[in-house]
Amino acid sequence: MPLNKDSLPNTFLVATVLCLLCAFVVSAASVTLRPLQLANAQKDRRSNILQVSGFTPEEIEQDGGVKKVFESRFEVRIVDLDTGNDAQAECQAAMDKAKDRVVNLSEEYDQLWASKTNPNKGLSEKLEKKADVCGIKSREKFSEVFIMNSEDGKPELYVFPVRGNGLWSLMQGYLAVKPDFQTVVGLTFYQQAETPGLGGEVQNPDWKALWTDKKIYEDGVVKLAVIKGNKPGNDYGVDALSGATITSNGVTNMIDFWMGDKGFGPYIKQMQNQDSSEAKTSLAGGNNVK
Amino acid sequence: MSSKSSAKDLVLDPIFNNNPIALQILGICSALAVTTKLSTSLTMSFAVIAVTACSSAAVALIRNKIPSSIRIIVQMTIIASFVILVDQILKAFAFSLSKELSVFVGLIITNCIVMGRAEGFAMKNSVSDSFFDGIGNGLGYSIILMVVGFFRELFGSGTLFGFTVFAKQSAGGWYEPNGLMLLSPSAFFIIGIFIWVLRTWKPEQVEEA
Repeated sequence: MPLNKDSLPNTFLVATVLCLLCAFVVSAASVTLRPLQLANAQKDRRSNILQVSGFTPEEIEQDGGVKKVFESRFEVRIVDLDTGNDAQAECQAAMDKAKDRVVNLSEEYDQLWASKTNPNKGLSEKLEKKADVCGIKSREKFSEVFIMNSEDGKPELYVFPVRGNGLWSLMQGYLAVKPDFQTVVGLTFYQQAETPGLGGEVQNPDWKALWTDKKIYEDGVVKLAVIKGNKPGNDYGVDALSGATITSNGVTNMIDFWMGDKGFGPYIKQMQNQDSSEAKTSLAGGNNVK
Repeated sequence: MSSKSSAKDLVLDPIFNNNPIALQILGICSALAVTTKLSTSLTMSFAVIAVTACSSAAVALIRNKIPSSIRIIVQMTIIASFVILVDQILKAFAFSLSKELSVFVGLIITNCIVMGRAEGFAMKNSVSDSFFDGIGNGLGYSIILMVVGFFRELFGSGTLFGFTVFAKQSAGGWYEPNGLMLLSPSAFFIIGIFIWVLRTWKPEQVEEA
């Protein structure tokens, strides 16, 4: 005898079966499509790194695609943002502990995720209100830095992951700078949801082109900013986006934070010291030979 | 509507005669959000057609088993599952588009058209009729999206599907883009004008004052 469809047992039966069925379909789709989605996201980020470093889509296509170009030209370093030291091992240890398994760092390290973990896991730290100029609340302890090396192994440019709040959204992107850590090569965003046509113009190639060759620091302080009514020829200013003051300010704050002491400042200082001490030793060596 | 209507009527009727947005004024929110560009409008259209058709068919399939006390929740569960499915598929195969649509694919769940058809049609009709009704209503939604997307992209950015039609001043051309077109309120105006045109053409849709 069929159950009365409005009876209590039937209600429970329908609810249970439906939930199980839907849960199965959804999780099956999620599990089977996940590798594709992760690969897409990584490819998207890498193609942004390549673009900000000056590769055109045609060049990438010609040289065998995003993956090949990225892997042949770029070196990925993980640095401790507080000290500026290389921290591959520390980050590996902290990640293994947080995930409770051996993590493949180059594939799986997600900085945004890391920044939101509990600080006692050793992957993030809370930002004080005063230091938190771009509104991200907490910051990851370790960050990736992408270094493009020339044929003879010398760094040609550095790409830093940066992010900050605009009007509606967290804008995530990359800033590429020359090895003098003073000259900008480019800025790009791979994730933002600002007003299309207004703040969304941060993605406009014409606007992004304004960043090239701008200068970052003056007397060790970040001076580069997005400025309303910028004067032509100002090395430290980029024209603000019209109708998007809050997005423009967000970009300024982002540069200010990530190039400053709480961001990549310590790393940059260390690299500069290294450079100058290397230069000194080679000079000294030269003297010895004489 | 009689239950004996043909598949053709079921698909074509909601496009102009019984348009879910223009006549029933359902699903306005996403029509504002995703129509700044034609490419996102088109993707969203396909997503909504797929979800409405599949969820209506699924609801119709089990319509005689659904206890009336939990029928809305059952419909929601089915719709939500299809929406997640579509979202996952977009993320895997059309990554850049899904990035632009961001949360709005997920928000199809709250699109009144989908629930309206599940509750209003699929609960009383056969699987195939419900499927075609879902496609029809999805198309009715799509046509508005495409019309709104067409005008917003053309006048807001001077392009169609990303190809330049009006050369913008900022790129050395003559066209000064209309910033309002890129903001949500412009979609209200366009939908309003669309409804006006539609009701002038089909005066029987005019509501009595």
